[in-house]
Amino acid sequence: MKNIKIKGLVLFVSLLTLSGCDDAFNTEPQNQLTLEQLLAEDPNAIQGLLSKIYGSFALSGANGPGSTDTPGDDAGESPFLRGIVNLQDFSADDMKNRWGDNGLDQLTTATDWDNNNKFFRYLYNRVYYTVPQCNNLIAVMQNVSVPNQEQYASELRFLRSLAYYYLIDCFGKGVLVTEADLGSSVPKEQATRTQLFEYVEQELLAIQSTLPVTNGYGRANKACAQMLLAKLYLNAEVYTGTPRYQDAMTQIQLVINEGGYALTTDFQSLFSGDNNVTAAKNEIIYALIADPISSQSYGNTTYLVNGSLSADTMTLSNYGATAGWGGHRSTKAWYGLFGNSATELAASSDVRAQLFWTQGHSYEMNDYKIWTDGYPCVKFRNSNALGTSIATDFSGTDFPLFRLADTYLMYAECVLRGATNGTSGQALQYVNAVRSRANATPISAGDLTLNFILDERGRELNFEGHRRSDLIRFGKFAGGSYVWPWKGGVKQGTAIPEHYNLYPIPLKAMQANPNLTQNPGY
Amino acid sequence: MKTIYKKLLLLVLLFPFAALAQSTLEGKVVDKVSKQPIPGVNVVVQGAANSTQTDFDGKFRLTKIKKGDKVLVSYIGYNSVTVPYTGQNDITVSLEESSNQLQEVVIQVGYGTAKKKDATGSVSLITAKDFNKGAIVSTDQLLAGKAAGVRITNNGGSPDSAPNIRIRGGASLNANNSPLIIIDGVPLGDLNPAGVSNPFSLINPNDVESFSILKDASATAIYGVRASNGIIIITTKKGTVGAPQYNYSSSISIGKVDRKLEVMNGTDYTRFIQEYHPDYTNLLGIDDPATAAVDNPATPEIEGRILSNTDWQEAVFRTAISSDHNFSARANLYKKIPFRFSLGMTNNQGVIKTSDYKRFSYSFKMTPKLLNDDLKIDLNAKGTYTDKNDIDEGGALGGALNMDPTKPIYGNQLNNRFNGYYQEVFFNDGATRDFYSLVGSYNPVALLNQRNRPQRTTRFLGNVEFDYKMPFLRDLRAVLNLGLDASQSRIREVYTNNALATYQIDQNNPDPNTNYVFNPGLNYLENQTSTNQTMDAYLAYTKSLTGVITRVDAQAGYSYQNFVTDGNKDLFSYTADGSGSGIRQPFIENARNPTNRYYLPLNLQAYFARANIDLFNKYLFTATFRADGTSLFLKNKRWGYFPAVGAAWKMKEENFLKNSKLIQDLKLRVSYGKTGQSSITDVVGFFPTRPFFEVGNANGQYLPGLNTYTAQPYDPNITWEKTTTLNLGVDFEFFKNSILAGSFDVYNRKTTDLLSKVPSLPGQSTAATEFISNVGSIDGKGFELNLNVKAIQSEDFNVNLGGNLAYNYNKVSELKGVSVVQDTGSGLNQTGVYLAFNPVGQQPYSAWVFEQIYDATGQPIVGAYVDRNDDGRINNDDRYYVAMRPNWTYGFSTAFNYKNWDLTANFRGQVGGQVYNLKTLTNGNTQGAVGYTGNYLINVLDFYNGAANPLFTNFNGNATFSDYLLEDASFLRCDNVTLAYKFKDNLPFLNKAGIKVYGSVNNLFILTEYSGQDPENFNGIDRNFYPRPRTYTFGVSIDF
Repeated sequence: MKNIKIKGLVLFVSLLTLSGCDDAFNTEPQNQLTLEQLLAEDPNAIQGLLSKIYGSFALSGANGPGSTDTPGDDAGESPFLRGIVNLQDFSADDMKNRWGDNGLDQLTTATDWDNNNKFFRYLYNRVYYTVPQCNNLIAVMQNVSVPNQEQYASELRFLRSLAYYYLIDCFGKGVLVTEADLGSSVPKEQATRTQLFEYVEQELLAIQSTLPVTNGYGRANKACAQMLLAKLYLNAEVYTGTPRYQDAMTQIQLVINEGGYALTTDFQSLFSGDNNVTAAKNEIIYALIADPISSQSYGNTTYLVNGSLSADTMTLSNYGATAGWGGHRSTKAWYGLFGNSATELAASSDVRAQLFWTQGHSYEMNDYKIWTDGYPCVKFRNSNALGTSIATDFSGTDFPLFRLADTYLMYAECVLRGATNGTSGQALQYVNAVRSRANATPISAGDLTLNFILDERGRELNFEGHRRSDLIRFGKFAGGSYVWPWKGGVKQGTAIPEHYNLYPIPLKAMQANPNLTQNPGY
Repeated sequence: MKTIYKKLLLLVLLFPFAALAQSTLEGKVVDKVSKQPIPGVNVVVQGAANSTQTDFDGKFRLTKIKKGDKVLVSYIGYNSVTVPYTGQNDITVSLEESSNQLQEVVIQVGYGTAKKKDATGSVSLITAKDFNKGAIVSTDQLLAGKAAGVRITNNGGSPDSAPNIRIRGGASLNANNSPLIIIDGVPLGDLNPAGVSNPFSLINPNDVESFSILKDASATAIYGVRASNGIIIITTKKGTVGAPQYNYSSSISIGKVDRKLEVMNGTDYTRFIQEYHPDYTNLLGIDDPATAAVDNPATPEIEGRILSNTDWQEAVFRTAISSDHNFSARANLYKKIPFRFSLGMTNNQGVIKTSDYKRFSYSFKMTPKLLNDDLKIDLNAKGTYTDKNDIDEGGALGGALNMDPTKPIYGNQLNNRFNGYYQEVFFNDGATRDFYSLVGSYNPVALLNQRNRPQRTTRFLGNVEFDYKMPFLRDLRAVLNLGLDASQSRIREVYTNNALATYQIDQNNPDPNTNYVFNPGLNYLENQTSTNQTMDAYLAYTKSLTGVITRVDAQAGYSYQNFVTDGNKDLFSYTADGSGSGIRQPFIENARNPTNRYYLPLNLQAYFARANIDLFNKYLFTATFRADGTSLFLKNKRWGYFPAVGAAWKMKEENFLKNSKLIQDLKLRVSYGKTGQSSITDVVGFFPTRPFFEVGNANGQYLPGLNTYTAQPYDPNITWEKTTTLNLGVDFEFFKNSILAGSFDVYNRKTTDLLSKVPSLPGQSTAATEFISNVGSIDGKGFELNLNVKAIQSEDFNVNLGGNLAYNYNKVSELKGVSVVQDTGSGLNQTGVYLAFNPVGQQPYSAWVFEQIYDATGQPIVGAYVDRNDDGRINNDDRYYVAMRPNWTYGFSTAFNYKNWDLTANFRGQVGGQVYNLKTLTNGNTQGAVGYTGNYLINVLDFYNGAANPLFTNFNGNATFSDYLLEDASFLRCDNVTLAYKFKDNLPFLNKAGIKVYGSVNNLFILTEYSGQDPENFNGIDRNFYPRPRTYTFGVSIDF
């Protein structure tokens, strides 16, 4: 009897110790996949991973417009493209915003910038979301066997270079991380602007041989790498102190001569809902895709389209939108390039002068916070250039980050800046091709000056994320040599400090990595 | 008395020959009231050497006893009894508790119970007599303000409002700071069932017998990794061993909002618009169809407009009528099986219209003893069914404040488009089509009535515990506890006809009079099951001894818990092509997961051991050890080890105090130990340490024809957070009848390997911006005082006063290289703008603000802030930190008892703490009255009675961070006052029945200088706050 009881006790004790089963700890998710599961389940898995990183320039997250890849940042405000437009156009002379969100006022008036401004943080965070994502996928691909691996890796290296380009341009420094740095928890040293420049230059040269001449829509090809490199060289004097216009010209010619792109006849079609299917697509070198259903974001062209509309003064559905956020208006620094008054603007034959909604709005922006002060810009719209269109909540207009007209104007600028591997005759021809397409009068050789190029770039490319870089390259951004409405926080515009040519390194990044130093002046 | 003993002694001595007839007496000692056996009772034959103690079941066996012997049965805390031996074979002795309180109180300590007198840890026990009274919907409300150092702040006055419970202010930063809740031996998971915001609402408050609140490491370490933020153990009522008892109680309550925000009425508002926004007077009221006159903003009169005077707050509030019915039966089945059964039904109305809550509950408890009482079984089953209509709280409350008071609630507008409700619209004059769009706030009354979102949850919570006494070693028991907490929830959102929220423009139709559609019907459906399985198996050894070691009480065992929450959502969207034909269709977010399923598993396993050893019945020692493992962390980081030691000195047992009349009881306690924390699923999900990829949803695709896959952030290195606590305490009872009793605890706490969201090293992690990591530490210190005073004690009149006071100060002491992290729980009205931060060297959750400058008359100078660092400019360097959470909390209660009358009142409050008056920011500036697009108006706080300051035209830029918007959150709230009358023997027609009737008022008043809705605000940011109602309750309770 006692034996049985002792056995019972032994059984009980063993129950206690043995049932601590290790297997139960290995909980498995139902909706998330391991890499092995992913590769087994979807033959296009690697491209799906690639698609996500391409999308990181336009979307906020993987689960629609409310999701974010960068926790702590507002999903709507923080996508890459929105950051590019905020930091290149709203801080410059062409566009202003009236919402008064904390931080946006400072940006739009170029006053009181500090490292606490969330809009600087958003772009910085986007750079450092995209770069390690590229690094991670490059590393992942090294461990599995995939066809076209080299091409995919080259596309990722393009995307990584593109992200670094905005770091170089906006912040001027940061850590340089590659696939070799994954998982390192030791804070990296900061790389200088020149070091970053040289790295991106090498990368873009290296992948030109492995990128295809043509690739799927929205994906990087050879010309994309050449165009990005051309932009890097064009601004090299700003970035490194050493002019590289000759090298820029080499890349520009490669794009023009080997890319197979052509100007579309309909200027407005470049910024319309069907720009991925009309002839506009032949001019667009690199597009950031938007789709009203499958690629929704508050930070892609939806931000440009809806942000520029308001039912107060406009009819939303005419532009294919269901909502107008009543935020952005252009300034006379832009539409003044077509005419010095409302009447002159209306009289202009240039189709690019018709991008502004004037009805109910004043030419002068007396108060940037008042919607009707200044003309909203309807360059970007969600309606189609051909056929009918329906209004949708999210824009389906792709954003032409690089397009041939830009390349043409860069050609002319390089010639004017002394590149000897191009000709001024060709430069004039390219500039006039751009102007003629817009129904503007062609210019003569004598008109072709650097100042004319800056103005023409404004007429042609404003609101496309280039303006601040252009102004800096022309020495007209910081300081007081050129002022625009609300520059420095006053209506007429006033000088701003020289150190504003670079944005401050965000507080949060400096708190995270003690090796980071602040840009001078902040 | 003493002389009687001596005489008896003499008597015994005089008849030594009686010893010839020696025999044996068996017996049992039970509590006179509870009839529960009392172990460890001293049973002594007076004047003889033979003595014994009762065993765990209160049984004893006394040998060598003779007829005529006097048997003295004594036990601390009980009045001793002397029984003459007349040859009985067995006897049952009932001991009556002495008035001394502390001594015999039984507390839950986890994996067993202990007497409070034997505890070395800091444990508060709250029993029925202490509970809050009146309109109690959920169990946590019984406890609010009752225990020192336990701050319970519900999210407002809704019937299922989530309680935010912080014991000693919370030891964590981003990991869950809520205490572990254990109901009848089943620890709850961190996730609530879908649609349930308050886990306490799932048990009927009427079934609760007591709360044991474990605060220091000596008490909590037995729960290891879930213990750092304290533990609340809820024990439900038991059956009886005596005659059947029945209780029926019923109450009816009437609730009203007693404090509204002071927004403008129609007349004042019209004046305000005329004064401050004369260009917009044409937006006041509605167009008068009887006249063609159009308001001319240039004239002070409002022409051609009908102005209403609507109190929109009044329009969404209601007088809430609630009822509660409970029936319980207690009996002893077959004289063997004590059981209790209860049924409850609560029908609760919130003070906001359609905010309805119903609960049906049952509970069943059976405590049979089998195998000659060697096997004790404790079987519990509790179930609830709750049905809550989840209103759009923010929409309704926000709308009630924002709606222009000159607009009517109802108005047959635009062909009665909105089913009789008035709604502001704007006529869009389009090139291809004209249409009316909704502008401004949605009519809040329509919002409430046009959506029905029942959240229905069925929950079962049960356990069975087998407690088997080993026959070969009577002091050793094996305990097996099997528990199940399972729930099923269903949320179903349905819109009525013509609901504002489903208003769509048909883009194929150009006629503004007909080009609209509505989509009544189902809009959202979620189903969820949640299963939490618990198994505890342990051995317990309990022995009372004589000599140096007077008691040994030890447990060692294994615990297993598995939580699975599994659910899916049916989503709907409007026609995906955006054509606005208004057809709503099922929306598949993700082709790989067409049902939108989510699956959240968590596994916890632990080994634990605890030993209590008492020396000389005066010096008590406890050692606890627990090893905990969780599925959240990787194998090499999985196990955490949590030791604790405690000691107590029962000074009253010392000779120098034994006969003290002043000091009835005195015990000193000290404890030191380590506990853990791993609840981070709120922040980083259930798979934070392994690399996974997630499929993007249908709106998150990019390159055509491909699924996007996103590498999820993870960190293989994260592990437990550890909290070390040193606690010193004293329990005391002074004066005759323990007139003054209480306890005082002081503690010092340090949390290391703090799980905090920190910014990622830029570029070096796939976690883009931030992830949780074990960084830094928090230091905490504080004290708690509990006092109970029996101010007056007499046969007919008693007055008892009770109170508690707690001070807690936490400081972030390190964040590994980072000086501050923002607290993303403190978002303001603008996106991405946060008020509070966790800065090193400051209290967690501190507001980072500018110091407002005031003029000589005390008025703020708009836009002027103190240049705190004197560098001549105002920037972030001039901001300073203000702690938002209070350091001092208190509660007190008074109970008057006169014959059959009882009057009790409970109060609680806090000293310090801040509330950010967000409503001043949004509705307290003159610009705020004109809507975003400039074609509608927004009501504002009253500038004419001082509710807001007209100096502020807006709160843009730095004004958002002005400390002008921070207000002192100190308050004293009268939680409830109850007057009860007990009919005792004065009702002849109800033989033996007891009837109690009572009336009570909850939330009778609040004293505060805060100008907004309510200073008792957990997040300290006052936005659309569901008002806590004042509730009048009348109830009756019948025992029969």
